[in-house]
Amino acid sequence: MATFDTVHESANIIPDVRPFAVRRFPLFLALSLGVIALLIVLHIAVGTLDFSPVQIVKALVDQAEDPLHRQVVWGLRLPRALVAIVAGAMLGLAGAILQTVTRNPLAEPGLMGVSSGGVLAIVIYIVFGAGVSADSGLILPLVGLIGGMTAATLTYLLSYSNGTDPIRLVLTGVLVAGMCSAFTSLLLLWADDYQVQRIIRWTVGSTSGRVWVHWETLYPIALIAIPIGLVSAGLANVLQLGDSVARGIGQRVELARLFLLFAASLLTAGAVAVVGAVGFIGLIGPHMARRIVGGDVRRLFPMSVILTAALLIGSDILARTLTIGWIGIITGLDIPDTAGLPVGAVTALLGAPFFLVLLLRRKHAL
Amino acid sequence: MTTLSTPALAAQQLGVGYLERAVIERLSLEIAHGGITALVGPNGSGKSTLLKTLARLLKPSAGTVLLDGKAIHTLSTTEIARQMAILPQGPSAPHGVTVRELVEQGRYAHVGALRMLKHQDHEAITRALELTDMTAFSHRALDSLSGGERQRAWIALTLAQDTPILLLDEPTTFLDIGHQLEVLELVEQLNRERGMTILLVLHDLNQAARYADRMIVLNGGQIRADGAPSEILTPDLLADVFGVRVNIVTDPATGTPVCLPYGVAGRKAATTEAAISEPMAFTMQSVSAAPIHA
Repeated sequence: MATFDTVHESANIIPDVRPFAVRRFPLFLALSLGVIALLIVLHIAVGTLDFSPVQIVKALVDQAEDPLHRQVVWGLRLPRALVAIVAGAMLGLAGAILQTVTRNPLAEPGLMGVSSGGVLAIVIYIVFGAGVSADSGLILPLVGLIGGMTAATLTYLLSYSNGTDPIRLVLTGVLVAGMCSAFTSLLLLWADDYQVQRIIRWTVGSTSGRVWVHWETLYPIALIAIPIGLVSAGLANVLQLGDSVARGIGQRVELARLFLLFAASLLTAGAVAVVGAVGFIGLIGPHMARRIVGGDVRRLFPMSVILTAALLIGSDILARTLTIGWIGIITGLDIPDTAGLPVGAVTALLGAPFFLVLLLRRKHAL
Repeated sequence: MTTLSTPALAAQQLGVGYLERAVIERLSLEIAHGGITALVGPNGSGKSTLLKTLARLLKPSAGTVLLDGKAIHTLSTTEIARQMAILPQGPSAPHGVTVRELVEQGRYAHVGALRMLKHQDHEAITRALELTDMTAFSHRALDSLSGGERQRAWIALTLAQDTPILLLDEPTTFLDIGHQLEVLELVEQLNRERGMTILLVLHDLNQAARYADRMIVLNGGQIRADGAPSEILTPDLLADVFGVRVNIVTDPATGTPVCLPYGVAGRKAATTEAAISEPMAFTMQSVSAAPIHA
């Protein structure tokens, strides 16, 4: 019996007490992707114009009976759904990376000041920039991206002193974020009513009115940043054991951390630049993912991507039904599609109680 | 290049300091291949600092560390990690990481961040789990284990690195006496059966004397004594370094020296007598924190 295979045989005898999502992770991942597809169809179905799922699928595969269906589905609703999915995915991955790098379960994508920096840059552009024009769909995301990455760089440089320390990084991030938010608030006083309306949508985060032009700024960043984040799982797995252990195992700790922080900043800045500072999902998504698939980052990262994407599109479905379905009926007004409740308000409303439960549980555990 | 006479690890005129304060000054040391060496000394003597510097976790302000005859700062951290593993004091893993997932990380220096584990990696991991008796716990989350099991899992991580040299910083801290001995027996087994060179920081002098071939006593960042436990454990040295009065006896079971502290050196006789009446109330740790009147 002393064959080469004894190693594997004995490995099979060990009771595998891990949950289903861990043991059959690829299958679980595929199932989750199926759920995402269903959510996309549901997201498209909800709105002022009612569609049946069959009509949506027909419109999506370009077989719509009514040209209006095709126009609404392809021109308005599909890009919004895709933007929500991808922005959610990016925020989820960013949150997972930062929670791992800082070894802090309460870290979120805005940790490095990226969200506040991105929003500030956008607000400055809205208030002082020449263009209040409609074509800002392309310019604003670029401005936001630059703002976010600038804030992240500032946080990194300010916290660097003979190496970076996760705690110093978190504190500096809070500082930079606070400064950016303060400037944003000051600019709110400066701005006129119309500008204030727009600014608040960016600070809260909103997917309404996101069309193909937004998609076209979002997907190239996602296409670069999401793979970078996912392949860095091996680095993150070692780094999350702490600096001393990671260095002992053979990791160049500072370099690994810089790479991961860069990936997280790019993911956050890219998402915030298109949908604004949507709160809480980048905190909750990775946290839920960790509960489902455990602490191994090779599972945690992909799961955070999918789960947070589902959370954002789910919240957006809620945001749309809440406004159109209720306020529209109660007031009897014809509320346009673009005037829905900002999705950031929904995520905050759902996220804050979740956060509280989390804190209470931790207190209980101690 | 490696010959038998080349020490596994050496320090030459080493100086280390935190900010302005020098913890270690001009310290030289050679650790030969194949032994168990214990670093002991009172709190703040620099023993942990020395271990971390030898493991390149701290950068020396002066001097050089030689790993197998090569200056450590000329080697890449990956090259070092294939030669020498270190278990720092009080490591912690994030919530939900299982034992096997932890131990897998020990292969980082062999496979890198992106590559998949190969057959020999799986073998090293399985072997590390078997040596530490953790195979049955492979799929258990680290935070669901007892302190002793958790420490064995961390040691398994360093063993998966498959290195000839292993450094351990107070591996028995916070463990009960049974688990302390379990860890030390494992260290002994690794040395005897696999020929690993082991350097560890220990608080307990008697455990150091029992398991180490060589003890290095540090005080004030200097080596105060260095040699076989039976040679260096003397009442004079312990009074001098730890500020305690001790009797040294020979353990009938193992033949190794055991020190029995009965009082603080330099105190009045009355105190000493009181201490004699209940010697077990004194632990080495509580005494070593007392002021030294050498």
